Amino acid sequence: MSLLELKNVSKIYGELHALDDVSLKVEKGEWVSIMGPSGSGKSTMMNIIGCMDKPSLGEVLLDGVDISKENKKNLTTIRRDKIGLIFQQFHLVPYLTAVENVMLAQYYHSMPDEKEALEALERVGLADRAKHLPSQLSGGEQQRVCVARALINYPEIILADEPTGNLDEANEEIVVDLFHKLHSEGTTLIVVTHDPEVAEVAQRTLVLRSGKLHKEKINENFTGKIHFND
Amino acid sequence: MFLRMIKGILTRQWKKMLMIAFTIALGASLASAMLSVMLDVGDKVNQELKTYGANITVVPKENSVLNELYEVEGSGGTGAYLKEDELGKIKTIFWAFNIVDFTPFLDTSATLDDGSEVQIVGSWFDHHMELPTGESLDAGIVSLRSWWELKEGSWLDEQRDGDSADCAMIGVKLAEKLGVSAGSTLHVKGAAAEKDLKIVGIYDAGGSEDEQIYIPLNTAQALADLDGCVDKIEVSALTTPENELSERAAKDPSSLTVAQMETWTCTAYASSICYQIQEVITDSVASPVRQVADSEGAILEKTQLLMILITVLSLIGAALGICNLVTASVMERSQEIGLMKAIGAQNVSVTLMLLTEIFITSLVGGTVGFFAGFGFAQIIGRTVFCSAVSLKPMVVPIVAVLVVAVTMIGSIPAVRMLTRLRPTEVLHGR
Amino acid sequence: MKKRRMFIRMITASLMRRRSRMVVALLSVAIGATILSGLVSIYYDVPRQMGAEFRNYGANMIFTASDGEMSLSDVEAAASKISDEQLVGLAPFRYENVRINDIPVVASGTVPEGVKATSPYWKVEGNWFTKSGELMVGANVAESFRIKAGDMIEVTYTPTEEDGTEAELDNSVFFTVTGIIETGGPEEDYIYMTLEDLATLTETDGRIDVAELSVSATSDELADYVSGISAGSAAVSASLVKRVTASEATVLTKLQALVLLVTIVVLALTMICVATTMTAVVAERRKEIGLRKAIGASDKSIIEEFMGEGMLLGLFGGILGSVLGYLFAQQVSLNVFSSSIVFRPLLVPITVIASIAVTGISSLMPIRSATEVDPALVLKGE
Repeated sequence: MSLLELKNVSKIYGELHALDDVSLKVEKGEWVSIMGPSGSGKSTMMNIIGCMDKPSLGEVLLDGVDISKENKKNLTTIRRDKIGLIFQQFHLVPYLTAVENVMLAQYYHSMPDEKEALEALERVGLADRAKHLPSQLSGGEQQRVCVARALINYPEIILADEPTGNLDEANEEIVVDLFHKLHSEGTTLIVVTHDPEVAEVAQRTLVLRSGKLHKEKINENFTGKIHFND
Repeated sequence: MFLRMIKGILTRQWKKMLMIAFTIALGASLASAMLSVMLDVGDKVNQELKTYGANITVVPKENSVLNELYEVEGSGGTGAYLKEDELGKIKTIFWAFNIVDFTPFLDTSATLDDGSEVQIVGSWFDHHMELPTGESLDAGIVSLRSWWELKEGSWLDEQRDGDSADCAMIGVKLAEKLGVSAGSTLHVKGAAAEKDLKIVGIYDAGGSEDEQIYIPLNTAQALADLDGCVDKIEVSALTTPENELSERAAKDPSSLTVAQMETWTCTAYASSICYQIQEVITDSVASPVRQVADSEGAILEKTQLLMILITVLSLIGAALGICNLVTASVMERSQEIGLMKAIGAQNVSVTLMLLTEIFITSLVGGTVGFFAGFGFAQIIGRTVFCSAVSLKPMVVPIVAVLVVAVTMIGSIPAVRMLTRLRPTEVLHGR
Repeated sequence: MKKRRMFIRMITASLMRRRSRMVVALLSVAIGATILSGLVSIYYDVPRQMGAEFRNYGANMIFTASDGEMSLSDVEAAASKISDEQLVGLAPFRYENVRINDIPVVASGTVPEGVKATSPYWKVEGNWFTKSGELMVGANVAESFRIKAGDMIEVTYTPTEEDGTEAELDNSVFFTVTGIIETGGPEEDYIYMTLEDLATLTETDGRIDVAELSVSATSDELADYVSGISAGSAAVSASLVKRVTASEATVLTKLQALVLLVTIVVLALTMICVATTMTAVVAERRKEIGLRKAIGASDKSIIEEFMGEGMLLGLFGGILGSVLGYLFAQQVSLNVFSSSIVFRPLLVPITVIASIAVTGISSLMPIRSATEVDPALVLKGE
């Protein structure tokens, strides 16, 4: 059984078919990129997978459970338990320190544990910045805090929406390296991006166009190699 | 472009602006309600204090000196009287509008069938009189003795045609002594005439009046053969609390300088009203009843001071409230302002735009609030004093200045914050 | 419990690190609470304080002999039934007919301290008499005898013999006139001296004709005193001066209604003002609410946190406001009535609870509307 399966999913806003009869499968441990120009339905798809929106038609099976018919409250619970989100604009709570922002995810999930949160920050290389407020961190550092926050609850899927959109090249590389690390640890990654460089490092790239799955590319050269930033 | 931006904010962000306008309206209504009530409370409470009865008495000149001493001896006055036909003149003095009520009294005595003597007072009950000025006035002890408690029967109604001249009201103690009740008839023999008085009501005054009989003035004059005579007038007037100037003036008006004299006559001191009454009533002495006049002054002052302080508190509260909201709502927009600065807006132009925007909002809110506040003042006036609160013109500029000043001051911390704002910080998520 | 610690940590972080906004919110809550506690204190204190002012109107209760005679000790015994705090003044009077220059005048023996308290409206030109050998005369008497303060006058009295005839020899005593009384009432026709001097002059002792009392109490309490004293004392019959008591009740009721209505209007407006500010402060955080939802917070936990924060603000604002409100009421009382206000401990919890309720309710609405929005929409920057 696939970890995530979309069966003939459509999302219709009035006349507009933001997603039009899309089907796909993502296996456990896979690293998938979703590409496409603006308005191709990337964000809609991301919202549906991220349990922040429901499809108009079709089924979404997450871990064998159909989430397309769930109510908002249950969607929140599912999102909390299975999905880690990373955003383009980072979205950290401005008055909480880095470690507290990570702990926030633990808090909503189960129990806050500062030690574990610090370990997560260490994994993204921010152990020494744990007590800083978001305003004292650079963009890349903020995004790494987001990654730490996304993975703290060991989610089934990490869903990243343009994770490198607001980052310079150096930071982009750091984040991509983090993804490699996560992938090698067996985390399922879905990365929405329109940066081909970021997309190409994934195992598989899906290209959306006008709400339809335009093409699917398997990365033959995928090595799973970890680049270390020196 | 500037106007277009302002228009854009006001029309497209109207929800947020509406909230600011709403708060400003609340503040402004608070200010205008409290100011209206505060400025009017003196008059209103003064009116209420009229329940204490007359604060000025007018007696004949010769009488004022030794009258009461002779009465102790049992004789019936000194023969000096005021003229009934001059009564209307009281309403022609400069302070006529401050005269709320006045009532003449004529004390006389009569013999009953059993030979005992009773004190009879002739007065007005609810007398209707046409004034020389063309106005009319209803005055009498019904309003001037508001603390009298009716034990039996009803108040004597002078307006009733015909038989009211033969009616009387009797004090509760005397009624008990004589064993009369409402409806009984009492035969009295005065110095000049005899009368059968029909008792229409029995009152409890809690004082010496409880042993007297009150009859219409003309009936008493007929009994005592004193046509057109009155031996005391009680006047109830709205007065300003006395101060050092008025006390000096009351003693000797000629000791004042011209300017002081002007102040004195143009202020409704009890003493200046007395002075003017003396001028229109021949051979009279008018003097303030200190028990009432002084206490009125004290209570008025306290009430006004109390209201002033409450008003100040609510004004400060309203001011801080508005300041606060303006600050909060400007801070909320830091992102937008950061963006404007990023695309090259100068601090001055951003500030100017913000202030114009808030100014327009406060203008709208302030106007609405002013009328709402005046409405609140009316509710207070109607509920508490059963009369409308008058609109004092000075409330308008005070509220206007207050609202504008407060919103502008409220924007200061916001403006300072936004000029320090670094666009990069804001746009990069902070 | 770990979870609660994080909860508290988040709220304190929010309060401490968003200082400028929290100061704005706290200030607004504190203003509301100040006005609440200040005005309510004043409202409850007005009857007491104003009641004291109304004592300016003079005596509101009089004692007369029920039958026969009453003595000073009867009066004092009867007056002792009234609590010391409420008894503003007690002035016994005894009247006798005396003569000055062979012209009859009513002389009254009394206790000057008592009269000063019961009739504060008496205006005395010169000084009050304080001891034996001094007297005050009414303005009318002064005018007719051309007396001024500082003069010596001779007062004579013809005692009555035991058989009812007038004695042949008059008693006469010289007095210093200390002051002239102006009241605009019958007092201007009398002369006033101490009870002892009148007793010496008339060679009789102890009788009191009437005693005036000024009692600061509600009309119900006054009625209770009157019936209690009349029933409890054989010699004294108490009655109320209706003119003063009835009018006082009328005016005082109006004044209290005035302050009540003003309080209600001011409070209602201020509370709405506080609510809009709180709404603005919370509305600013829509994005944060969206974020929290996106990382898995349930609506319930978001409402809990934000309400927790709001209530904490309400708590601090309420405490601050209680203190400021009390200080304000105290200042008002000192300035207006020159007496301090009674501290009402009950008002502190009421103020705090009201502040918490207002902040809670006013934050709830924007929080609810923020939680209803799709987190995706909020996070997209909308």
